[in-house]
Amino acid sequence: MAFNKKLVTGMTLAASMSVLAACGGGSDEGSNGESGEAAEGITIFQTKVEISEQLEAAAAAYTEETGVDVEVIGTTGDDYAQQLQIRLNNGTGPSIFSVENAQVAQRLESYMYDLSNEDMVENIAPDMELALDDKVIGIPYGVEGFGIVYNKEMVDPADIADMDSFVSTLEGFNAEGINGFGLSSEAYFLIGHISNYPFSLQENPVEFMEQLTNGEVSLTDTPEFGEFGEAMEAIRANTPSPLSTTYDTQVGDFAAGKTAMIHQGNWASGMLDEFEVDFEVGMAPFPLAGNDQLAVGVGSNWAVNSDKDQAEIDGAIEFLDWLHTSETGQKFIVEDFGFIPAMTNIEAGDLDPLSQAVLEASNSGETIPWSHNYYPANVIPNDFTPAAESFFVNEDMTGDELIEALEAAWQNAAQ
Amino acid sequence: MKIIRTWSKEILLLLMALVFLSPIYIIFVNSFKSRQELYENTLAFPQEFSLQFYEAAMARMDFFNAFMNSMYVTVVSVVFIIILSSMTAWMLARSGNKISTVIFMTMIATMLIPFQTIMMPLMQLVTGITRETGIPLYNSLSGLIFMNIGFNAALSVFLYHGFIKSIPISLEEAATIDGASKFGVFWRIIFPILTPITATVAILNVILIWNDFLLPSLTLIDKSLRTIPLSVFYFFGEFTIEWNMAMAGLTLTIIPVVIFYMIAQKYIIKGIGEGAVK
Amino acid sequence: MKNRKNIGWYLLFTVPLLVIFTIVVVIPFVIGIYYAFFDWDGIGANPMVFTGLENFRVLLEDERFLRSAWLTVLFTVLSVISVNVVGLAFALLVTSKLKLANLARTMLFMPYLIGGLILGYIWQFVFLDVFTLLGEVTGFESIFFNWLNNETFALFALVFVFTWQMAGYVMIVYIAGIQGIPGELVEAAKIDGASSWQRFLNITAPLLMPAFTISLFLTLSYGFKIYDVNLSLTGGGPANATELFAMNIYNEIFGYGNYGYGQAKAIVFFIIIAAITMTQVYITKKREVEM
Repeated sequence: MAFNKKLVTGMTLAASMSVLAACGGGSDEGSNGESGEAAEGITIFQTKVEISEQLEAAAAAYTEETGVDVEVIGTTGDDYAQQLQIRLNNGTGPSIFSVENAQVAQRLESYMYDLSNEDMVENIAPDMELALDDKVIGIPYGVEGFGIVYNKEMVDPADIADMDSFVSTLEGFNAEGINGFGLSSEAYFLIGHISNYPFSLQENPVEFMEQLTNGEVSLTDTPEFGEFGEAMEAIRANTPSPLSTTYDTQVGDFAAGKTAMIHQGNWASGMLDEFEVDFEVGMAPFPLAGNDQLAVGVGSNWAVNSDKDQAEIDGAIEFLDWLHTSETGQKFIVEDFGFIPAMTNIEAGDLDPLSQAVLEASNSGETIPWSHNYYPANVIPNDFTPAAESFFVNEDMTGDELIEALEAAWQNAAQ
Repeated sequence: MKIIRTWSKEILLLLMALVFLSPIYIIFVNSFKSRQELYENTLAFPQEFSLQFYEAAMARMDFFNAFMNSMYVTVVSVVFIIILSSMTAWMLARSGNKISTVIFMTMIATMLIPFQTIMMPLMQLVTGITRETGIPLYNSLSGLIFMNIGFNAALSVFLYHGFIKSIPISLEEAATIDGASKFGVFWRIIFPILTPITATVAILNVILIWNDFLLPSLTLIDKSLRTIPLSVFYFFGEFTIEWNMAMAGLTLTIIPVVIFYMIAQKYIIKGIGEGAVK
Repeated sequence: MKNRKNIGWYLLFTVPLLVIFTIVVVIPFVIGIYYAFFDWDGIGANPMVFTGLENFRVLLEDERFLRSAWLTVLFTVLSVISVNVVGLAFALLVTSKLKLANLARTMLFMPYLIGGLILGYIWQFVFLDVFTLLGEVTGFESIFFNWLNNETFALFALVFVFTWQMAGYVMIVYIAGIQGIPGELVEAAKIDGASSWQRFLNITAPLLMPAFTISLFLTLSYGFKIYDVNLSLTGGGPANATELFAMNIYNEIFGYGNYGYGQAKAIVFFIIIAAITMTQVYITKKREVEM
């Protein structure tokens, strides 16, 4: 019997050891007590990682003004969607999170709080709100745009105003041994952004994409896509393979004058600033099928998690309201985040040339939309990119075959 | 003749190690370069060895706090892993019954499960436990330690198991006859013999836990709890990364592990020469 | 009484770890198996539809998955061989009496410390720039070119980088094994006039069996579930030519949002791999020399 006592003691020891492992030091971290009291506090989880520090500063300013605690959860960006999904599932979701587009919002519909009746919604620039059915569920971060970013000393915009002259410009650079037009190997920069044009140039892009999913139209029968295939062939024939280029070298080569044009957006100006660029840069439309407009859209949107209790939801809305209406909040958006505002009540700040071009295009309304926000979820990295990689690896794959591959990819992802 | 042969071997070994290490050279030199310099020549020596990116990286990462968190999590996890898994492995290796074989095989089979397939159920379970029982598994360093023990148990038991088999069983039998309890036999006789493999287990676990990103990123919310790998996210952008900062951050991250490795390997390499092969 | 006592000790030594292990690994895995029988996108609020074995049936016709499984097997076999050959060679070198052995041991181990995105950045640079440069300088352009752009060589690039990363890791396992070999045995063989190759084959290799078991299994398991090297180096490209298994599951679960189907894939692959590797462990364990 003496042993049994020993055994009991032993087991108790073992059990307490594992509990110790669970609790040891738990009390001195003070975190748990904190999160218990901070019922009025809110959490933000968002995908645009470069504004993390500035957002934390904004949160701190807000806390100072109102006493409400705001915690910004970190992410590296790549794992955002996965982490958001896991957090929402286990009930630890953030109060405010970012939603890229309607496709994503659809999937997360049951977590999207209806913001339609909030005051700040009235200030959103026309067509810039994220809506699901009739409900407004997302406040745009800001406006972004992409097109041909060109070196003004090397390229005359008139020489790239239509497809034929664009191609002959490329041939000219190729003969001189200069990279005329740089894409890069990452999904969005290889095919994601540039694939927008043939879609966005349709009369009603969203309707077109629905018809495509339903099999009512076909890419191979749509003339813009035929021309897009030819344009991609011309790019492949006259420039070094984009698969050998990363985003960093693409922008670096442009800044160093080794590349005359790159397909990029106003966000690249941040990186160009880090180089001593000694020439002027401009942004021009990609002249597919006579296109003369920049592609302008919203990169991401703030959404409020409806799965939280009403107090937290109200807290989240108050924070967003403060960010978009108060002077301090607006200053953060324009100056610290560096966004081109998508709200009529916010004045744009001092802008770099690329953002200026996007703002002007946006104000004039002379833009084409971002169709990729309506693509089936993740079709770009999962399906379009392998197709485009095949195209750039196999010289004998034609532009038409690329379009066929994209169509097959679309059908695969839309299922 | 012999001297020449020895020397050529030495030089060969050094060359091999240098070639092998060259990618790390890229990390080191580029942690001193500006974005433009980095782009212009990645392989060259930096124009100047200024520590500005290290200072900036440390400030943005809140390095000291992150370092203490990482240190706490790693040390406590590894101590528990060594104690618990060496005991378990010894029992499994020595008892020789069917159940032990089944437990052992199950444990090592789980080493084949990709983390991606269990992370979602795991997080549901962990937050469920936290909600229902109040035991802070979620959003606490202790909870992270608990999960580290669970995830690294299999590897550690596996490593110990293999080496316990090579210890002569007669040692233990002698001690048992002398009346020592199992507990005494293990801690006084077996565990000291296990030192080389304990050092190996310690090294491998320290690295896994110190560098782990995914698990802490899922379980820790509060800024004050961030470990070093989590703090590096400030250098990330939507499309690109501030490589010079990231490399400075990485260099800072691995220095403690390299020091630890150099100390710990002395316990693996006990008395070189007596066990030498050449 | 003695038997009960032994059971008591047995429980005391094993239960604490097994409890933690069960909570953290076993239970979540079992929950995962449950999900494999549903059509579900992994969003808690969205409907879960029980579909029985449908996910498992579809899987057999999923060409992308079958290709990915095959590539994973190929990658793992190549990696296991190269990692272990290189790692063992390193271990033998650094346990010899060379003066630089100590330094080399640290240097050779360091690559294991570099993971994730930084690793991808460095090696992309090496393949993109250094390899093409080497090709131009040496004239061996058929060997030194950008491997990452070639559907076949991209897989070799993964093996190459994985070997670079893991060789130092298995090296320390082998070192610990070599340390356990009694010096007298080696000396005796030397006196008997055995060449160093004979000594390796007849003494070192058999006594290294436990280290072999461990290293083979470790490389197998890391090879089969490789993810971050895959993601950061090739991202599965070009044209899915290097989309290995873990990445395929990840894309299915979080990319396409087919949570149940992704779990089904994971389970089938797990069963196959576990069967293979458990056989390997069983066989090599049998060959170990008990002292």
